[in-house]
Amino acid sequence: MKSKKNRLFIIAFTLPCALSLFIMYLYPIVRTVIMSFFGVESVTARMSEWSFNGIANYQKIFSSPTFHQAIRNMALIWIVGGILVLSFALLFAVILTSGIRFKKFFRAAIYLPNVISAVALATMWIQYIYNQEYGLLNKFLEALGLEGKNWMGTDMKFWAMLVAFVFGAVGYYMLIFINGIERISGDIFEAATIDGANKIQQFFSITMPLLRSIFKTNITFWSINCISFFLWSKMFAPVNTEASTVVPVVYLYDTVFGTTGNVTRDAGAGAAIGVVLSLFIAVVYFIMNKVIKDDDLEF
Amino acid sequence: MKKKIVSLLLVAMMAAGLVACGGNNGNGNKANETSGNETSEAGGEEEADKEEAGGEETETEEAGGEEAAGGNYEGVELTYWSMWANTEPQGKVIQAAVDKFQEETGAKVTIEWKNRDVKDILNSALESKENIDLFEDDYKRIAQNYAPYVADLSEMAEAAGYADKSYAVFQTQQKAWAQKKTGSEKFTSLAEQPQVGGIFYRKDLFEKAGVEVPTTWTEFMEVCKTLKENGIQPLALDSAYASFAFGYHLSRYVPEETISEMSKEGGWSSNADVAAAADSMIEFVNAGYLADGAPDEYPNSQNKIGMSDEVAMVICANYVTTEVNNTTKVELDWGLFNYPGVEGKDDLAASAYAGANSIAITDYCENKQAAFDLAMMIVTGENDQQMANDAGQIPADPANTAPASQNGTVEVLKATTSPLAWNMGIGENADLYPKLDECVIQLFEGKFATGADFAKALDGLY
Repeated sequence: MKSKKNRLFIIAFTLPCALSLFIMYLYPIVRTVIMSFFGVESVTARMSEWSFNGIANYQKIFSSPTFHQAIRNMALIWIVGGILVLSFALLFAVILTSGIRFKKFFRAAIYLPNVISAVALATMWIQYIYNQEYGLLNKFLEALGLEGKNWMGTDMKFWAMLVAFVFGAVGYYMLIFINGIERISGDIFEAATIDGANKIQQFFSITMPLLRSIFKTNITFWSINCISFFLWSKMFAPVNTEASTVVPVVYLYDTVFGTTGNVTRDAGAGAAIGVVLSLFIAVVYFIMNKVIKDDDLEF
Repeated sequence: MKKKIVSLLLVAMMAAGLVACGGNNGNGNKANETSGNETSEAGGEEEADKEEAGGEETETEEAGGEEAAGGNYEGVELTYWSMWANTEPQGKVIQAAVDKFQEETGAKVTIEWKNRDVKDILNSALESKENIDLFEDDYKRIAQNYAPYVADLSEMAEAAGYADKSYAVFQTQQKAWAQKKTGSEKFTSLAEQPQVGGIFYRKDLFEKAGVEVPTTWTEFMEVCKTLKENGIQPLALDSAYASFAFGYHLSRYVPEETISEMSKEGGWSSNADVAAAADSMIEFVNAGYLADGAPDEYPNSQNKIGMSDEVAMVICANYVTTEVNNTTKVELDWGLFNYPGVEGKDDLAASAYAGANSIAITDYCENKQAAFDLAMMIVTGENDQQMANDAGQIPADPANTAPASQNGTVEVLKATTSPLAWNMGIGENADLYPKLDECVIQLFEGKFATGADFAKALDGLY
């Protein structure tokens, strides 16, 4: 009798959540996957207006040079940006947990760009750092007697955007690393010091192996961050989408809603892009779980 | 016992939370059901064609109703989705016009300020028959994407003599688009913010250099040479408008339809005029006629026109003058001339870019005449003049006067019969456009030695 009542309570508590999950997440996912195989103009068009396309939407996006460029840009952000962000984040985390003075100040200063709106941050980089006439970089080059450069030209714009984005992202990952390092008991480092290990040896033999789960978390967060990369691309190409800064989500947005001066929409192809991006996240997550094992350590 | 009470209270709270969260949707659905039912009542329970017939019936009744025509809209409620913010000059003028309309007619108008992102939500809202009576957006998007959901304004426009209070170019253009989309020449919207493109220049700098407005490319190159000799940089260019500028140039060599075709299918190298257009642009760039740093990041280059007395011209749509004036806080003496034609291509020399943000009325609006009267109040007469003055734009009513920042725009717009599209066909291939645009920016960056190289690079994208 009691277990029946308990079951009733369990159902009463879980049902609203399960229903919300079903309606808010599962239904759109299923609809998007189905939509990716149909010719659909408007994203909210009735299913009766859809026409079966087979894999034509996938063929369309995979043969599009703009989609190739978007994937290339995203991959570069993921790999190059990832190496830069995680390296700097780890470096700062190690320095800040090594007992330096003004730790709180430096931690806050490095995290600060995460508090500032990305729009303000991007504007600052575009107008005050990359500006050809009065930007910090060209003024610096000028002071050295060198010629200034158009940092926002087609050959440099992507890298300019990446550097600005990396600058804003380091603090977030640094905090996660700090948390991971502080979790490691001081006794381990003390014992290593007594055994004669120097700081570098301690870092590679103790800190790094014990941060494996944190690395996995950070790489997963970074991957999701890269796949949903949108605002920075829009800020660096505010009027039209440009090849140097296009990323898959911007390409998806343009495909679904049309572009400046062109009102053509293709929600079916947009859905196909969404499905490809979701698969990409799933693959990254799967590889991370396979490559980085963190369940063999206890400390 | 206590545990049971706490558990029950928690369940009740969760249920109440869910009901409260779903409250809006519930209301929304109810509103949708209401309009859906009313459509059914008017048109019966048959399919869409019958519903349309029902809609027309209602419309005729409203249009023919003396009370409505007389402007007494006591008890009428309208919902207006605006693409502006209430803090913008356009928003303030619309609010004033709506206040006046309410006072004069007794109608109640609710404005929802949706800002520019309205384009992302309008289609879904119209499909689900959300409570919207009139809305604003780009007239091309209205005529092409929303045509099935908006009312045909032909009869009301004719009765109101709208043809004499507007530019003909927008009506013919949107009817042609709607014809393609729906099969009928629907008149879908009233132009609220007309736009025209061309070369905007500082009259004082032209006077200083002693040059006249050019009409041909050869004359234009002469003007640039003289400006440069007088220490004035001829042309500002931001990379965001590179395709617009080169599109204009190319449209003087190749008809827009051909550019659109090439944008979709390729074949740029097989058309000798593409290479010729690119060659003349390379000559222009190599002569140093672009402003320092151009193509620059938007809006740095265009702002140089107002920030110094060193840059004379920019190729853009008319809003550039207001943007530069507002950003640099300088009231410049602007003029406009149409993009120069090239020798031997006289038939392509006259066309100009024209576009508009417009007001449309939903086909399920229950008070179309009231909505139309409100729209007319905004786009004609005093309110339109106020909008032109405060927002620094071309008046939608040609009887009104353009502000100083829009000198010359009305004349070019009146002379335009078959307008060029944005980017003159280069953007027709939406999927490939970012890559095509990159090649065009590189053309201005001086990355191509010859026009043939440029055409080949474009073809390499297909």
